[in-house]
Amino acid sequence: MMLARTEGSVISTRKHPSFEGWRLAICQPIGAAGQPEGTPVVALDPLGAGLHQRVVVSTDGLAARQAVKDPRSPARMMIVAIVDEPSPAADPARPRGEIA
Amino acid sequence: MRLGRVIGRVTLSQAVPSLQGARWLIVSPLGRDDLSARPGAAAVSREPSLVVYDDLGGAPGDLIGFVEGREAAMPFEQPTPVDAINGALISNVYYHPMP
Repeated sequence: MMLARTEGSVISTRKHPSFEGWRLAICQPIGAAGQPEGTPVVALDPLGAGLHQRVVVSTDGLAARQAVKDPRSPARMMIVAIVDEPSPAADPARPRGEIA
Repeated sequence: MRLGRVIGRVTLSQAVPSLQGARWLIVSPLGRDDLSARPGAAAVSREPSLVVYDDLGGAPGDLIGFVEGREAAMPFEQPTPVDAINGALISNVYYHPMP
């Protein structure tokens, strides 16, 4: 699992049938201080995470296949948790959410 | 899935039986900077390009979502040596990076 921030979503008309009906969120893996680490990934979003919210993304294919109910799905990345924070995109250096 | 730009195709003369007739794309993964770049910018990113199995009909220039790892072989009936597969042809991207 990795900590990430949602930075958007993608729309796809032609895709593996198991992705039908799922929101596909662009998630940027981040470090503890919120700095981006690595390339963005597209994850299934069953929770409806808001833009710039911190989320936990699972890389477990078995869990994703069970979620989409297709044992032959190539699904792998899935948002499994939304991190508690005072406001979306809150800065850990300003825990009460005030803006710089 | 990661997002990538299709920059070419691969045609095989010899292949293991389970890969006969497969379509292959050369894909350049999109990094953070490439996603926010305006359309028409450099087609090839700084990330290493890779060959992706395709059964959705991706063509050079398309934006796709590809899955890497063991999960890429899950759609196949028999054991197949594939570790990257085209999972979605992307028609729209809404990307708002944190400043």
